[in-house]
Amino acid sequence: MSRHLLKFSVNGVAREVEVPAERLLIDLLREDLALTGTKEGCSVGVCGACSVLVDGVLLSACLLPAFRVDGTEIRTVEGLASKEGRLTPLQQAFIDHGGFQCGICTPGQLMAATALLGEDPHPTDETIKHFMMGNLCRCTGYQGIIRSIHAAADEGAARA
Amino acid sequence: MRFEHKSTVNAPRAVVWAFLLDVPRVAHCVPGVETIESIGDDRFRGVLKVAVGPVRLTLTGEVAIASRDEAAGIAVLRATAADKGAGGAVSAEMRMVVTDGMAPDTSELQIVTEAQVMGRIGEFGQPIIKRKADQTMNEFAANLGRAISVP
Amino acid sequence: MTSTYDLHMPATAREAIDLLARHGDDAHVMAGGTSLVLMMQQGLIRPAHVVSLHKVSELRGIRSTADGSLEIGALATHREIERSPLVRAHSAMLAEAFARIATVRIREQATLGGNLAHADPAQDPPPALIAVGALVLIQGPGPAREIPLEDLLVDIFTTSLEPGELIVGVRIPPLAAGTRAVYLKFLPRTEDDYATVSVAAAAVVAGDGTVRQLRVALGAVGATPIRARAAEAALLGLKADEKAIKAAAERAAEATDPIADGRGSAGYKRSMARVFTERALRAVLA
Repeated sequence: MSRHLLKFSVNGVAREVEVPAERLLIDLLREDLALTGTKEGCSVGVCGACSVLVDGVLLSACLLPAFRVDGTEIRTVEGLASKEGRLTPLQQAFIDHGGFQCGICTPGQLMAATALLGEDPHPTDETIKHFMMGNLCRCTGYQGIIRSIHAAADEGAARA
Repeated sequence: MRFEHKSTVNAPRAVVWAFLLDVPRVAHCVPGVETIESIGDDRFRGVLKVAVGPVRLTLTGEVAIASRDEAAGIAVLRATAADKGAGGAVSAEMRMVVTDGMAPDTSELQIVTEAQVMGRIGEFGQPIIKRKADQTMNEFAANLGRAISVP
Repeated sequence: MTSTYDLHMPATAREAIDLLARHGDDAHVMAGGTSLVLMMQQGLIRPAHVVSLHKVSELRGIRSTADGSLEIGALATHREIERSPLVRAHSAMLAEAFARIATVRIREQATLGGNLAHADPAQDPPPALIAVGALVLIQGPGPAREIPLEDLLVDIFTTSLEPGELIVGVRIPPLAAGTRAVYLKFLPRTEDDYATVSVAAAAVVAGDGTVRQLRVALGAVGATPIRARAAEAALLGLKADEKAIKAAAERAAEATDPIADGRGSAGYKRSMARVFTERALRAVLA
């Protein structure tokens, strides 16, 4: 019933959108802002396809009421590469090391792995598996994803 | 889900049998039944309200007498009901068997219910419905025994 | 699919309580929202008013108090609890139990207060917290009160909160020196699933092997988490050998009332409750 004016930024761009109270972040992104990089998979917070960063925190856009992003900075898969199209080391690693097959889970995998590397720049296999456990890949390409994350971590180390 | 109840009822078998086929009276022994009305052909329409914590379901559906065998004392009721808001449905078959009791003017009543939860309600609502069904069936069996018993 | 509602965003706990008093049964509190959003999406809860607590900053934070208690605000997320050095210092078991709830995304959004108010018997925090003697801090229209967690959870999705009352936090009194605690959960399907059965145990054993203190709580095998008091009583004051542990685990299994579902039949779950209680008891007593 109630409607709310939300002011926030997505991938560095300031936005103002009025939404009904019950709007979810996934619909705010995909329907209101046409940012369809973020995918909706299970709609119940299990599969990880809708993973996004809100003020740097990894969340499921399908479970988060849109009103909660008022005043925040959101980062979606569209905001990983630079404006000139330069990929992040993680994105490049997914291409170089077979980090995706069909691609539907990839935006979520990239956002989750970005959050992981932000917390732990050199994760072990165990850390990667525990952190990424909630990002399902129905092609079962998990080994490639783990390889890609390690490669991006090494790349980060090489550049540091 | 399968529920079994056995009880001794203080009423002769003929009285119990007549009661079991009086669907509105049987239905009113189910806690939460708001309305029940005949729509002909041994069929009835009713509304059952279920409350578990903050969850409120309004199950609207039908009950029918599926079969009756007075000689054997076996009557079978079939019910289906759905909640519009939750998009889920419940179906149940209740087999009621009445036999003469050990003492004069008493009967043994056995109720075996097979119930299924279907639709979206099944995912998240299933534990709610299962727990609630167990409590509801226990109360129903107790209420039924009380309602039939000749004072 | 979610029905629409009026959203309220109070800035203080008092304002939230006033809103709940005003709207009564038509209002529902939202903390993290993980469970409430799903239940609204699925049409199981259709509140006319939602009182979101996300601006109530007094409900955030984790602190140690002067008497050595650990106080966790109702809006502390599972992730904050998992990573808090204060929580780990008070009870590593608690930190590890929270680290294994669902997935990292859920842990970032779900809150302690929301979890307890949701009263889902299959959740991890209640048995883990009951084992370390957690008390729930409640404010409402009446005086503030503090109750043992096992007294909050009275039935499936049902708490003993009075209308208008709000969980503001949890207090865990100081644990006796030498307390050993463990939280085990049986996950035969996937690592992020609800437990088929979970067991938390905390114990103090004297130098001569006598069990001085013991608390055992089971999750996912009843309408509420179950404090296995008979199992505790069977071991207290004794030297716990394998035979006594097996007998106590049998008492714990007898106290369960599981329902059959995709994770197993009621009988199977009861057996697993016995097996996992044995393992938990061995871990804290042996």
